[in-house]
Amino acid sequence: MIPAKRLLDEVITSLRTVIAPAIVDPYAKSQAFMAAVILEFVSHQVTERSDIESAKQAALDSVFADLAKLLDGAEIAKVDGDNREGRLCGVIERLYSQREKLGEEIFTRANRRIRQALRELLEQDLKVAAQNKG
Amino acid sequence: MKAKQSTPEIIRDFLQTKLPNARDISLSEFTHLAGGWSHEIYVFKARWRENGETIESGMCLRKDPGAALLREFSDLKSQYRVLEALEATEVPTPRVYWYEDDPALLGGPFFIMEKIEGEVPNPWSRAGKEKYAEAARRGKLPLSFVETLARLHSLDWRAAGLDFIGVPGEGKDFALREIAKWESLIAESGHKPEPVLTELLMWLKANAPAAQRLAFVHGAYRTGNLIIRDDAIAAVIDWELQVIGDPMYDVAYVLSDLNREGSALLSCVVEREYFLEHYQRLTGLRVDLDVCRYYEILYMMRSTAFWISASSLFADGRNKDLRLARTTYSVPVVLDMAAKALGF
Repeated sequence: MIPAKRLLDEVITSLRTVIAPAIVDPYAKSQAFMAAVILEFVSHQVTERSDIESAKQAALDSVFADLAKLLDGAEIAKVDGDNREGRLCGVIERLYSQREKLGEEIFTRANRRIRQALRELLEQDLKVAAQNKG
Repeated sequence: MKAKQSTPEIIRDFLQTKLPNARDISLSEFTHLAGGWSHEIYVFKARWRENGETIESGMCLRKDPGAALLREFSDLKSQYRVLEALEATEVPTPRVYWYEDDPALLGGPFFIMEKIEGEVPNPWSRAGKEKYAEAARRGKLPLSFVETLARLHSLDWRAAGLDFIGVPGEGKDFALREIAKWESLIAESGHKPEPVLTELLMWLKANAPAAQRLAFVHGAYRTGNLIIRDDAIAAVIDWELQVIGDPMYDVAYVLSDLNREGSALLSCVVEREYFLEHYQRLTGLRVDLDVCRYYEILYMMRSTAFWISASSLFADGRNKDLRLARTTYSVPVVLDMAAKALGF
């Protein structure tokens, strides 16, 4: 997701340089400029939510730990790199590409555990995205 | 020094080069249409004198604005050629007049086509939904909706010269090509890794269906992309996502809930059973609902690719349209729909 401060700055710029100048009605024009001014203040008040990122990292740690047990040291579960979401993407790809070798039972169990983690990740993103009704 | 010409003046001069016998060309009712995420659209009325007669013609200009959504898959020249090829068929489309590749004129390639008289009620708005529902009650538009899709899918696309857009191989090739296309858009966007999307992509690849047969597929056949006149479809527009592929791809789009929020009617205009009965009768095809369900999930991936690409265009500073910024919030919502469809 694009950071909130960045989005606010872009909306402010659009209000000042695109929207307000195009408004003919003086009252509506002044309202648009004032909205930009207020959003500038709001921008100083905004802090990015850290709870979402923490919850996502906890879900990722947990799924990696479970997969390591489930796949019993198989190459698939070995994950490198700093970006844990990128690492999970790699595990998913390898799980599908080695499905036959792993057997349907192990594939299904690992896939089910991964999907549980994916749902947890989604729920975190939806805390912000699902609020947007526009 | 020559003053900078306005867009209508540039177009007027362009028309003069294409209509050498025309005299006194003038443009009126020049409007830059809102909407359109991937192209700029202008409509206007052109009037000129030729051989002692006054001629008036409604025109529509579609222009490549540069860094916009679907730039990679929506080549204007290809759109022009598709519309040109469709002119001789039974599929109602606007007639194309001229294509201009030179960006010196308007800042990007553009083409001019006939402006079809009619209306395109917005199916996302309450007023639009009401218009379609009223037309559905009168009964003529639902049949026109099905008939037009049936005509599209019954088209001899090779004879029409449409194979230049690419022909998939037998079996699963169409679905796999479509997945690869949207996966490449995601990759080009430079978006951060998204595990839910990876699972969705892997599932789609592992479960790709074989195409029943190959047909010319619009790729976004729904109200909003159809010009309506006298309760009938006067033209199919928005030729950006067309492919040679499985006709069930379009059928799935029609059946999808994605195109009818809050309406009981498919695409806000046609009853599900009515659509299925008449589509199968008119095309001789069997609607495979499992395959349609698969393609509906593929559309969710496609929507994710759209939104990821759109928000990246904005995040990278290549496009300042706030509508693109808004799509950053659409990605988890559509992935949530896909995850639920896959059972998690």
